[in-house]
Amino acid sequence: MPQIEPRVPDDAFASARAGEAAGFASLVRLHQPLVYGIALRMLMDRALAEDLSQEVFLQMYRSLHSIESHEHLAFWLRRVTAHRAIDRLRQERRTETTALEEAAGVFAASLGDDPMLRKHLQGLIGQLAPMARAVLLLRYQEDLDPVEIARTLGIPVNTVKSHLKRSLSLLRGQLAGLASINL
Amino acid sequence: MRERAMKSLLQRIALTWLCVVACVPALAAAPPSARLLLPDFSALGSAATDSVAITLDAPLLNIAAKFLDSADPEQRSVRDLIGGLQGIYVKSYTFNKPFAYPSTDVDAIRKQLRAPGWQQIVQVRSGEKQSAVDIFVCLAHEKPIGLAIIATEPRQFTIVNIVGAIDLDKLHQLEGRFGVPKLPDEAKGPPHAAE
Amino acid sequence: MNEDLDNTLRKALRPVDPGEEFTARVLARAAEEGARGDAVTPPSPRRVPRFIWAPAALAASVALVVVVGHVWRERQEEAGLAARDQVMEALRMTSEKLDLAYEIVNRPAPPAEDGSGA
Repeated sequence: MPQIEPRVPDDAFASARAGEAAGFASLVRLHQPLVYGIALRMLMDRALAEDLSQEVFLQMYRSLHSIESHEHLAFWLRRVTAHRAIDRLRQERRTETTALEEAAGVFAASLGDDPMLRKHLQGLIGQLAPMARAVLLLRYQEDLDPVEIARTLGIPVNTVKSHLKRSLSLLRGQLAGLASINL
Repeated sequence: MRERAMKSLLQRIALTWLCVVACVPALAAAPPSARLLLPDFSALGSAATDSVAITLDAPLLNIAAKFLDSADPEQRSVRDLIGGLQGIYVKSYTFNKPFAYPSTDVDAIRKQLRAPGWQQIVQVRSGEKQSAVDIFVCLAHEKPIGLAIIATEPRQFTIVNIVGAIDLDKLHQLEGRFGVPKLPDEAKGPPHAAE
Repeated sequence: MNEDLDNTLRKALRPVDPGEEFTARVLARAAEEGARGDAVTPPSPRRVPRFIWAPAALAASVALVVVVGHVWRERQEEAGLAARDQVMEALRMTSEKLDLAYEIVNRPAPPAEDGSGA
């Protein structure tokens, strides 16, 4: 008899911790946009992002006993996904050209029909160093404040603020340049 | 008795003087000190909204170097840079009100940078940003053995002191990785984009 | 401009759902691990007969040494990584201040007061 997936996150968490498949499935569905979103924007490659996301959820499956609550789970998922992606980027050292070509559609659904903006944004975000990219994603995808970002990544708050300031300054400058070309 | 005491005193003074004379050449040849005495700024620390104090002596720098990944270009550049260093010291304070830090604290540091060996290589002021940056290099036998940066902004005050054979070329090589630009006297074109 | 950029980034970086097929693949892999017994389960308490205490105590001592060694190595690694992070932070702050000097030096000259545009 198929199990009914719990709809309330806390129930799903409790159910998953108790070893129930339905609870685990519910947690995966609930959090896969977060995990896959971070992985995709970090790695700029759908196949790699899916691979990494699967690894994160399997690690979650193995580690549920050590995760205290559903709230802690969200923190845990962001932290593990970001760190794994940073490590993967540092190991793989993908060329920027390859990343841009394979990252087609990373922002497609979100930015509608502005292909120039889309191409520019993915290029610019792809230029950021791994840690700076992770900071930007946690700020704008996950809406975390600098203190929460610092906790998630294990870096000083000042470093977070500095990364944000530089990244935004770079993006602003480049996007302003794009706007002036289009006039 | 009194003569004996006087003779003993004179002998002691002569001995002391001999020691001083013997040491003067050594003192004259002593290299300038590239390490600044940074006050603990305890009063500033409690008023600041954010404070950073980094103290990295040679042993810590050696340990850190072992954990820098030579396969990562950024970390490799950093490892090359810190190879010849004896210390990196940073103190930075951020405030929620402009100029909440007393200028006496800044002046105390600047006073040390008037010592022999230190040369100011950059002094920039911006009325618009109400900011100032002073960069000093400590030279021994015409080679840099230390770097000091004092940066004052309306809501932040930062001192950086790097001690050791700082390779200014390698510092340049960090350009784009930390956004380190070329030092102003060598800038010939527009700034490079940060990585 | 700041608000525009913030909004643009929030819009561009909304979470991305990989879809049901992804979920199915994750659940299938988790089920495989569960079947293999790879998932961590808490050990059940057991009674140990007395006659195997002595070798068990020896084994426990060896295990303790291994664990202590492992913990020591982990602590060394933590200290090394912390030192590395401090170095990166120190150099990042150094470069930030050098950037500031560079920005001040390279700021565009104010327009001429006589309106000549020179």
